[in-house]
Amino acid sequence: MLKAAYRIAWKDMVGDLRRRSSLSSMLFFSIAVLVVFQAAFEPDRQAAVKLLPGLVWATMLFTSLMGLGRVFQAEEENGAFEGLLLASVPRGIIFLGKWMGNLLLTLLVQAMILPLTMILFNVDAWHVIHHIFGVLVLGILGLTGLGVLLAAMTQAARSRETLLALLLLPLVAPLLIAGVQATAGVMEVDGQPWPWIKLLLIFDTVYLALAPWGFSWLVEE
Amino acid sequence: MNLLARIQRPLGFMTLLWLGVGLWMVFQAPLDFQQGNSVRILYAHVTSAKMSLFCYILLTITSITYLIKKSETADIISEATVPVGAAFTAVTLASGSIWGKPMWGTWWAWDARLTSMLVLLIIYMGLMALRSSLDEPLKAARATAILAIIGAVDLPIIHYSVVWWRTLHQPASFGGSSGNPSIGGDLLPPLLVMAIAFIFLGAYLVVVKAQEIAALRKLEALDIERMEQDD
Amino acid sequence: MAKLAVTGLHHRFGRHKVLRGVELSMHSGECVVLFGDNGSGKSTLLTLLSTRFALQKGQYILDGLDSRSQGEEIRSKSVFISHNSHLYGHLTPVENLLFFTELRQLDCSKETIRKAIDNVGLTRFADRPSRWFSAGMKKRLTLARVLLAKPTLLLLDEPYSALDTQGVTWLNNILADFLSNSGMIIMASHDPQRVAALSHTPLFLKKGQLSTKKEALSC
Repeated sequence: MLKAAYRIAWKDMVGDLRRRSSLSSMLFFSIAVLVVFQAAFEPDRQAAVKLLPGLVWATMLFTSLMGLGRVFQAEEENGAFEGLLLASVPRGIIFLGKWMGNLLLTLLVQAMILPLTMILFNVDAWHVIHHIFGVLVLGILGLTGLGVLLAAMTQAARSRETLLALLLLPLVAPLLIAGVQATAGVMEVDGQPWPWIKLLLIFDTVYLALAPWGFSWLVEE
Repeated sequence: MNLLARIQRPLGFMTLLWLGVGLWMVFQAPLDFQQGNSVRILYAHVTSAKMSLFCYILLTITSITYLIKKSETADIISEATVPVGAAFTAVTLASGSIWGKPMWGTWWAWDARLTSMLVLLIIYMGLMALRSSLDEPLKAARATAILAIIGAVDLPIIHYSVVWWRTLHQPASFGGSSGNPSIGGDLLPPLLVMAIAFIFLGAYLVVVKAQEIAALRKLEALDIERMEQDD
Repeated sequence: MAKLAVTGLHHRFGRHKVLRGVELSMHSGECVVLFGDNGSGKSTLLTLLSTRFALQKGQYILDGLDSRSQGEEIRSKSVFISHNSHLYGHLTPVENLLFFTELRQLDCSKETIRKAIDNVGLTRFADRPSRWFSAGMKKRLTLARVLLAKPTLLLLDEPYSALDTQGVTWLNNILADFLSNSGMIIMASHDPQRVAALSHTPLFLKKGQLSTKKEALSC
């Protein structure tokens, strides 16, 4: 059964890598966002260290919105989504596959953007970069879980990318708060990231449990 | 739907009656020592804050009912509740701001309750936007029901994450954690009457809106039927 | 006992009733062709039988499986070829079919898949992205699924569209072969001439019900 989910994720990743459009546009978009932040705040080195957690998370959020907008694009040509739903696996497994595909793509892009952000903003936190990325991964798990469900929901809607942003951003507010605090916590010498990491884990658990269920209700006609 | 038509008028009368008595009591009530006349805003603020949450609870119940029973009535009530809830939320935010300016010196503070209210308003807006931008009525009904349930799960998480984040608000009005209500004994009766009035007001608005939606849907169905006969 | 039994099937979209009590029973090796006006509910009926839509009222049993409780098993026993090809443009035919078989948990080697592609006449294009395929080539590729999945029930929605005369003969041969291996076919069509070569039972969908008489189909 899980093999079907891997296969869906594989299919989406192959599409992303062959067309390269999602990958490169997400990457360049995030660089553009970083340039905007630099121009807007002009942080010096000390300010940049304080800004970094928020910067990393805001960039991640905007970039992943782009990726989420495309999750169901490949399913639209030739009515492939209908074909997917005719597979003899539970709908939750189909959701799992779509989610894993988006998760891998987002992780790949973030793994490139995080060092880039630190270089561009002259932040010397290389000794904790694995911790920062770890916290980021915890956020991405829940974000993509909820995001893929909302992407499925807005798939047939008019002006769906705006709608997706409107629906997703308020719902992930706790994720953003907890993520920024946890990142700041791991960057400081005597920081307290644990309560926030716990909140991230709660969020992940709730949404990853809820989303497959919501998806199977959504596609049941 | 017949039931809705029958209770609409009694609900309207009850709303007028309780609202009239409530407002009279509010203006008879003694002024607060510190807050002066602006304390009267709280009667509308606290009650509409409760109503915005009540509406969301109702919305969650009707959404679950719709998903399980596929009943169109549940969906119509869901659709009718959303704008009413949004209106109460907007009133809460606006009245809170007006009250807050003289009390705290700012229009806005990023504390737990204000932030959750703002997010609640955006969720209500999102529900309306989602329904109006999906062309297939059944798909729209399913999607909004699921989104409403997700929101119901999300709201407490949002609330507690902001509570952890920062807290500079005074304790909640109806018996906060400190035990002594921040609104004194003389102020409580008018508040209760206003709360009852607002419950009637909310119910009345939902009933009116639901009938409008039901009529519109019926019209659309008749339109489709006519087109089929023309073929 | 009938291999496929549909009783009292109703379906509505909102207030709009499309099917009002469809009855159908079929045996192995039988082919039913549904005729009817546009909007008479042919596609809805096929979609219901594919279990893509959940049953609202009535019963549908395929091979002893009840669609309400065993939808996934029914899905693995039937193939639905709708007017959408369900193909991914960025994948090659081999990859598309591999994806299809793995989603159905079929154990197919690449050789089996290449053989199926040979059989539908797409050997030369087996490793090119299917995005640029013509409508006829896409149709052929979707039919390769039937050869791989060997379903009990084959649902076809207007299978002859986008096929030339040669293609029609070729398709009829494949379908006749499928029937002789005790498969069942339900097909929606508006073209009696093209199905003529295939032995079938014509049924007419009118006012949401199936009948064997053509007179019911006025105009």
